Amino acid sequence: MSRFFRAGESDSDDTESDYSEELSASDSEDHSNSSDSDSDSDSDDQAADKKGVRNRFLGGDLSDSDSENDVVRVIRSTRDKRFEEIEQAVTAITNGQKINDWVSVQNEFDRANKGVQKAAGIIAQTGVPKFYIKAVADLEKAIQAALDKEKTASKKMNASNAKALNSMKQKIKKNNRLYEKEIQEYEKDPEHYAAEEEEVVEAKPKTKKTKKPLSDSEDDKDSEGEGEDDGFTPVGAGGKSVELNQENLFKKLREVSEARGKKNTNREEQVRILERLLVIANTPYQKIRVLLSLISAQFDFAIGLSGYMNLPLWKNAEKHLNSLLTILESNTGYAVKEDAPEEDDSDKDRSPQDGETVLIQGSIVAFVDRLDDEFTKSLQNIDPHTTDYVDRLKDEVGLYTIIVRSLAYFSRLEATDAICRTTMRRLEHLYFKPEAVIVAVENVANGLLPSHVAKPNQDASNLIHDLCVYLYKNASSLLRTRAMLCHIYHHALHNRFFVARDMILMSHLQDTIHQADVTTQILHNRAMVQLGLCAFREGMIKEAQSCLQDISGTGRVKELLAQGLSPQRHGTTSPEQEKLERQRQLPFHMHINLELLECVYLTCSMLLEIPSMAAADTNPENRKRVISKPFRRMLDYNSRQVFTGPPENTRDHIMGAAKALAAGEWQKSVELINAIKIWDLMPEANKIKEMLGHKIQEEGLRTYLFSNASYYSSVGLEQLAKMFELPLNNVVSIVSKMIWNEELSASIDQVSNVVVLHHVQLTQLQSLAMAFAEKASGFVEGNEKLLESKTPQQGERPKKGPNANKDQASGKQQQQQRTMGPRGSSRGGRNQFNNGLGNSVRGGRK
Amino acid sequence: MAAQYDLTSKMIPFLDQHLVFPLLEFLEINELFYSPSSLLEARYELSLKTNMIDFIDKLHGDLVNAGVAPGSIESAKRREEILEKLEASQSEARKVLDVIENPDVIAALRQDKLQNLQFLKDNYGMTPEMIQTLYKFGQFQYSCGNYGGAADMLYHYRVLSTDDNLGLSALWGKLASEILVGNWEVAFEAVQELKENIDKTHFPSALHQLEQRTWFLHWSLFVFFNHPKGRDAVVDLFLQPAYINTIQTSCPWILRYLTAAVITNKRRKTLVKDLVKIIEHESYQYRDPVTEFVEALYISFDFDLAKKKLVECEEVLENDFFLVAVQEEFIQNARCFISETYCRIHQKIDVAELSQTLNMSKEEGEKWIVNLIRDTRVDAKIDYKENTVLMNTNTTSVYQQIIERTKGLSFRSQVLATSIEKREAAQAKAIQHEKNHPSTEA
Repeated sequence: MSRFFRAGESDSDDTESDYSEELSASDSEDHSNSSDSDSDSDSDDQAADKKGVRNRFLGGDLSDSDSENDVVRVIRSTRDKRFEEIEQAVTAITNGQKINDWVSVQNEFDRANKGVQKAAGIIAQTGVPKFYIKAVADLEKAIQAALDKEKTASKKMNASNAKALNSMKQKIKKNNRLYEKEIQEYEKDPEHYAAEEEEVVEAKPKTKKTKKPLSDSEDDKDSEGEGEDDGFTPVGAGGKSVELNQENLFKKLREVSEARGKKNTNREEQVRILERLLVIANTPYQKIRVLLSLISAQFDFAIGLSGYMNLPLWKNAEKHLNSLLTILESNTGYAVKEDAPEEDDSDKDRSPQDGETVLIQGSIVAFVDRLDDEFTKSLQNIDPHTTDYVDRLKDEVGLYTIIVRSLAYFSRLEATDAICRTTMRRLEHLYFKPEAVIVAVENVANGLLPSHVAKPNQDASNLIHDLCVYLYKNASSLLRTRAMLCHIYHHALHNRFFVARDMILMSHLQDTIHQADVTTQILHNRAMVQLGLCAFREGMIKEAQSCLQDISGTGRVKELLAQGLSPQRHGTTSPEQEKLERQRQLPFHMHINLELLECVYLTCSMLLEIPSMAAADTNPENRKRVISKPFRRMLDYNSRQVFTGPPENTRDHIMGAAKALAAGEWQKSVELINAIKIWDLMPEANKIKEMLGHKIQEEGLRTYLFSNASYYSSVGLEQLAKMFELPLNNVVSIVSKMIWNEELSASIDQVSNVVVLHHVQLTQLQSLAMAFAEKASGFVEGNEKLLESKTPQQGERPKKGPNANKDQASGKQQQQQRTMGPRGSSRGGRNQFNNGLGNSVRGGRK
Repeated sequence: MAAQYDLTSKMIPFLDQHLVFPLLEFLEINELFYSPSSLLEARYELSLKTNMIDFIDKLHGDLVNAGVAPGSIESAKRREEILEKLEASQSEARKVLDVIENPDVIAALRQDKLQNLQFLKDNYGMTPEMIQTLYKFGQFQYSCGNYGGAADMLYHYRVLSTDDNLGLSALWGKLASEILVGNWEVAFEAVQELKENIDKTHFPSALHQLEQRTWFLHWSLFVFFNHPKGRDAVVDLFLQPAYINTIQTSCPWILRYLTAAVITNKRRKTLVKDLVKIIEHESYQYRDPVTEFVEALYISFDFDLAKKKLVECEEVLENDFFLVAVQEEFIQNARCFISETYCRIHQKIDVAELSQTLNMSKEEGEKWIVNLIRDTRVDAKIDYKENTVLMNTNTTSVYQQIIERTKGLSFRSQVLATSIEKREAAQAKAIQHEKNHPSTEA
């Protein structure tokens, strides 16, 4: 039937659409109280009509629910949907009670509660649905009765049923405490209570009914309002000219919004009409209403995931949003809110009575969000190497201004949720920028803002701090996490390594980040990378390496930072996955330079790995310790090359430097490192080169001692100092440290100023015994690993349930690896294993 | 110079007003950093908030003598009020005390607090409100400066009361009272009890707990640096992860005391490694000569710097309220640490140079080294002719190495075997189970 009507509708969209509002209203009745629906419908035809319209309507809605009038309907239909869910569950509970099936009662009860939770927003407005209260109150009694019976009954229930009953008892007790008042009310007078509900339900259709004839007749008159626009007098499709004036403004508005989301609605046409309406509108109320519809109509243009809103349209939307905010700022008597009550008579102009504010339904947050999203989308799609991109980027200031402006508006309304969301947006526009840029953006934005919104400039770091602190205090945990990561990124960008490190450690983010959504994980990766770069700039090589290891070590840097798609591997990525990934990509101006990142990572790896490799030659226990796998791989590859030409790229340079360092030629190593061009991208490149030179000298000394210790019986300290051009006390301190840490078996002769190296000459038997011991322990270790690999890890299996989203799951696993890092994965696994063994031993002894 | 290392101003926010008096007095007596009149004024300001009326009068007089004219105080009126209040609460508390001090009652009291309460209520008509008066009276006495009495009252209160929150603050009050009386043995117990309480109590937020711990760290310093066993306890306590975190987050300056405690603690040399890690970690947040000394010695192995820092340490310690008593010991031990490290790294040491590093004359140095060799059994000899110390290096023998390496193997294999057995058993059981209940799977 509905199919038939769909076809019918498309012919006469307008007339049909007139019904839709009131039909969907009565239709919703249909769901909340199905027995009523029949009496409401005028004829069979109309009843059928309802379905068709409503389905269509919902479909349209899902794609976009911004417009004011739509929001009304969405709320209504969600209300019904939610309540319907709850009601179904309630019925099932009653059934379960009757047949004494407590397992199903328990399930249904959970479902009902879930429904109540989902509908929390609606419940906040309308109160807890009465049938729910009735159900839980009855249920409590029933449980009590069942328990009493169970005590005396000769035949006990089966175990699972009894268990369910008991847990139900706990649950219902806890649950009913929340609704104590309502339950009391209900228990006072059960009959009346239920009746009241009916009344409420009953009341609505009536009001709708009375309205219907009126709108009907009016709509007939100018239903062809959507005709073509040919200049000054709009002429309808039937040739009738359509006057747009003050009187029929609201009607037109309603028409337009009703047509929204339909198949053959001409969107351009709609926007045009709305724009004309805007010219006509002269009271603030009218203007606000028209603007709300207009902005959402404009957003309707951009449909589809890959496409983005074209620029003039975006700018138009921006302009309109700005003027909407201007109106709202200058007329404090009006407020646009998501949870405003629905206007009962939308054709009347409303103006604030003294002291009151007129609430209008609509969502400025959604507009701001959408505008921002569209901006990002367009940046993702524009080629970053063109001037278009730069031009587009210039619009950011305008967008930023809107965000700041809407923040001021929200704080006037004290809408915490909206403030949090918008603050997050603001933060995301700022966090990756250096201080000077933030100040510049703030200055321009302040210039664009009307004077009463603009705030005196403050220090950029303070600004970020204030924004973040607000979010820490007020926002949900996801936003808090994101704010924290942005804050860390900001600190790291400005070389405050310790502050950033302490923040990341104290927040314990690293423990939970693999459970977060992908974009947050990306933000986390970005923050970690920035932290690593910060450590590098500060000369903390070890810290830098360990921060970067997780990300650079994987070889999938692009993907992890959302700065490029991962290469296709065996066709593992489905088109949907790829699409999602494409959506996550960061706009180019936010990118962290990957080549620089690699260069930093490899340099750090070189400084750590080369001495450790040299030490491994003499001390077999160190042999297995690999600090950076990718570095070793590259070095291997490089040394296998028959002919090595002069270094061309960054990698070649670093590999050359590493080899020189290993050979003790530190000058050559420094030269090669300094020849890398990409350092110029670092702030204060010269200082960094100097730092690197110094580090290479030190590590060169260490490498030299490690690799050549066995050939000397003593080395002069001054000679070492001269060789590596280091001050003498520096050399002493490095050597002392090596001796203290038992890396080098040597001691210093203070009198003659030499390092005396101790050698233990092993006899043949002794060295064989050592080797044997080594092999034996390797054998045991191998066995342990074998068992470990064959033991299914506990706790991992249940996670891989069928409901786990597949592409998400794989992504998460990879992410987990990254966040755990090499230390976590290799050692962690081992420790777990040992723990397992410990348990089993204990178990065995029992 | 040393003024920048004065921690008094940092610590005051975490101390009770009464506990601040000793600190300020210490500064005043030693004429450190601040002008005496400003210190006197600070003490006066502080005392105004308390009920120690005689003390206020005295300070007021001192201030007038010092030429600073503070605002006049209506001491007479206040005194009357306070005395009145004191009497009132005393008489109330008396009622309770009469009951408690009755030998029959003492004999009847048991471990179970609830039972005790019931007993007292039934037989003597005592209500929880009456017990509360003990707390109030104790608090009032404390604020009047009668610490001994306060400690008594709070003790009684804690024995009887079941209120956790007030119990905790009573414990704090008791600790403060004992500290101020100087009753270290009891205070030491109170510290232990308080620590357990803080760790055990479930605070509304982590922040709250952190705050409590921070206070605790500061207060316990009074006890730990006065009690003979205190320095062991300080090391044990402060190095616990929870307290290390507290130090790192809210009060890094406590590191000085931790460092001092570790260094003066002869028996626990292994702790130095942990300490070094923490100091290195926190060096950007907090540093003073004491931590810098450790840093120089164990991180950069710069003996000259360590020597310099040791001189500075001497001064800092002398001016520190808590550490002044351990100054001598600290210097001794620090020298020990230096020479030990030095000996481990060097093979041949010039006695003259070592003495210089330790800030000693040559003879003193030689004696010192001899003592060191005797005490710590370092394998070394003095070559008198060349005036050097020769260290004998000892490397672990190959046999030892092999034994070390193979020690765990048999145990590990055994564990392996057991776990395989266990797994097999579990599998067999599972199969058995499946056979018996095939329907559950379907």
